[in-house]
Amino acid sequence: MGYFGRRILGVIPVIMVTWSLVFVVLQIIPGDPVNLMLAGVPASEEVRERERERLGLNKPVIERYGSFLVRAAQGDLGDSFRSRRPVTDMIAEQMWPTIQLAVGGLAVGLVFGVILGVFAGIRPNSWVDSCCMALAMVGVSLPSFWIGMMLIYVFGTVLMWVPITGRGLDALILPSITVGLFIAGGFARLIRSSIIEAMNQDYVRTARAKGLPRWKVVLKHALRNALIPPVTLLGIQFALLIGGAVVTENVFARPGLGTMLVDAVLTKDMPLVQALIVYKTAAYVIINAVIDLIYGVIDPRVRLEQAT
Amino acid sequence: MISSRRTVLKAGTASLAFLAAPSIARAQANASNTLIWADDSNSDVTYDPRVTQSRHEEQVIVQVFDQLIMSDETGKLSPGLATAWEMSPDATSLRFTLRNDVKFHDGTPFNAEAVRFTLDSIVDPATGSQGAVDMLGPYDKTEILGPHEVRVHFKAPNAGAIDTFTENELSIVSPTAVQKLGRTGFAQAPVGTGPFRFVSWERGREVILDRNPDYAWAPTWSTIQGPSNVQRIVHRFIPNNATRVAALEAGEVHIGDILPALDTKRLSDSGRYRAMIGVAAGLSFGALLNTSRAPFDDIRVRQAFMHAIDRPRLAQNLYFGLIKAAYGPLAPSTPGYWSGAEQYFPFDRARANKLLDDAGWTMGPNGIRVKNGQPLRAYFPSLLLPDVAVALQSEARRVGFDIAVENVLKQRQDELLMTNQYEMAVIRWVSNDPGVLRIPFHSSNIPEPGKFKFNWSRVNDPALDGLIARATQAKTPAERTELFAVLQKDIMDRAIFFPIHDQVQTVAHTARVSGLRYARGNWQVRFHEARLATA
Repeated sequence: MGYFGRRILGVIPVIMVTWSLVFVVLQIIPGDPVNLMLAGVPASEEVRERERERLGLNKPVIERYGSFLVRAAQGDLGDSFRSRRPVTDMIAEQMWPTIQLAVGGLAVGLVFGVILGVFAGIRPNSWVDSCCMALAMVGVSLPSFWIGMMLIYVFGTVLMWVPITGRGLDALILPSITVGLFIAGGFARLIRSSIIEAMNQDYVRTARAKGLPRWKVVLKHALRNALIPPVTLLGIQFALLIGGAVVTENVFARPGLGTMLVDAVLTKDMPLVQALIVYKTAAYVIINAVIDLIYGVIDPRVRLEQAT
Repeated sequence: MISSRRTVLKAGTASLAFLAAPSIARAQANASNTLIWADDSNSDVTYDPRVTQSRHEEQVIVQVFDQLIMSDETGKLSPGLATAWEMSPDATSLRFTLRNDVKFHDGTPFNAEAVRFTLDSIVDPATGSQGAVDMLGPYDKTEILGPHEVRVHFKAPNAGAIDTFTENELSIVSPTAVQKLGRTGFAQAPVGTGPFRFVSWERGREVILDRNPDYAWAPTWSTIQGPSNVQRIVHRFIPNNATRVAALEAGEVHIGDILPALDTKRLSDSGRYRAMIGVAAGLSFGALLNTSRAPFDDIRVRQAFMHAIDRPRLAQNLYFGLIKAAYGPLAPSTPGYWSGAEQYFPFDRARANKLLDDAGWTMGPNGIRVKNGQPLRAYFPSLLLPDVAVALQSEARRVGFDIAVENVLKQRQDELLMTNQYEMAVIRWVSNDPGVLRIPFHSSNIPEPGKFKFNWSRVNDPALDGLIARATQAKTPAERTELFAVLQKDIMDRAIFFPIHDQVQTVAHTARVSGLRYARGNWQVRFHEARLATA
């Protein structure tokens, strides 16, 4: 079994532990799923009792946990309390818009991050560096709902260049920038420090001594060697985005897994919360495994170390 | 290398061209016959009228389904799927004569069997009805008298039944579609007889409805008797208030649901938009005072609290005149509203102070009254409208109340209410039935640990229970109106519910749209008569 396969198998115990934790936490936190689901509706006590029975909430906790594990092992993660649909269907539906936003955000983050980081890194402590790092700070620190609202106001309402909501790819531009600016901030700061370090290495001096143009030295020699730490960060952020970006989804009226998880937790829709946690855990582990593979592409020395 | 650079250039040019192209969303909004509604939620789960209890889901349901009796926004009744109806003298059965020319969207005919199927399935526990089953109340069975004639039997007198059959929840569903799609499938793709048929639902994004070209059974109060002028309705989910306003101003949607008061005022003042303010029927937005704990166990303290607050000014300050102060437990748009409640508890700070003095609460040095060393304190866990909670707090403070407001989540509120750890809590309830009063005032609805119910004033008096029972089981409409007036007076006399302001639905739409009409209860908007002028 290859390295990748072993990493994927490692997901299983992690998922078991998170599942059990989520199950316990959902039992402890206050609130009756039936009341939360009815959310202040004139339902009689009979209606409420009937719903509890339908959802199996009248069974002992241990029995519920046991039957949940058995069914989960068979690939049946159950039906949502609220919509009564299989939770796997529900997640599959919301996965595509979530991935769209994650990829869009990552693309924006990557482009802005590399540009800001490289410009700052090649002239440390210059005014260019200060400007780039100030921009990076803005990206990291401004809350995404504010950035989102400002983008909507300027580009959606006043200039009318792009739609605010909707399903087309053009409606993905503003949300991607909102998410991307945050990613770009952290990414740029890491690239800057890595570039500064790389620029002082012997191989960069050699490349310069060979008379290579400056851009080639920076992009081909320094940047490539400087990429490992920022790529690690990128992997973590991408994994977070794959789990949904709840604030951005809300501001741009986008469907997505972030909104779905918040709704599920607030209404104690246990099967849905559990399934989403499984999905998030699995996505996290898999993306980290992929990032490990990418290390090998960026830096062949990593591949050699694994081979030996 | 060169080829890859060329690829990059090509991609760049393509994306620029893409940016310059007119946006799909705005093009959709300008298409002449598509009406776009922005809803303030994105958590719809079912469009089965028999199951739902959500006003958001009903906004779709009201377009797709018809009721046996159709009511306009003022409560004016018209034949719907039934051409005539007759209540038995003892109010235990209701006979309907049905239309014989109506077809469901799936092509199957509407008939007596469809009525029986719908009503029987509502009371079937497997359906999981959350609203309709309580509305049907003492439903017994539906007797088929002919292919287009039924008699609905009740186990007890039910004089309010005629009004009840106008509710969205009691819409008639296609039995064939329910059997074919299953319960869950039907909830995702409902089939009714209404002016629009359901096309698709992209979760969290939008629902699409198309005009029913065969629609020829509009209620008599409708200005259009045939199919709608609107070809398509897009019901878009935009839960964020600011985004909904921005989408309306950018022309991406035509109608925005529940806009913030300030934006509604600004938009309607601009002349390019119109506001539609609907006063919802049901319980007014108000506070229930907990009579089982000090200090509100003393009626003088409750009366003092009510006299201490200037409701018209509060409504004006918070809502710029868009929302009016409320005076009774029922909103004025509810059938059986008793206007006598308007005389109760006028703003009178001197009287509030006198009542508190008489009750033995003396003013302390810090402006908070005290009695036997205890401050005049009331804990107020607030789930809804925090700005109103804070306004109440500051007004009551001026006569010596210390109202401790805490903004809580629903889960926390439920725990506090079930375990009786609060002095006051706010409630609101949309309903077309004055019988809604049993929910916060009947002793069987006092919350207990593990049982979430709504009698938060915890009033427990067989006399009040008796009034509620008599009013809800009245045999004639006149008797019913009279008994509900007595009940409302009794509630006001007890000073257990402090009405604060009307519950309103605030909708704003571009001036291009006309012919919008609220459904009964003033919460959902009907689109059948809508027209869209070209931009």
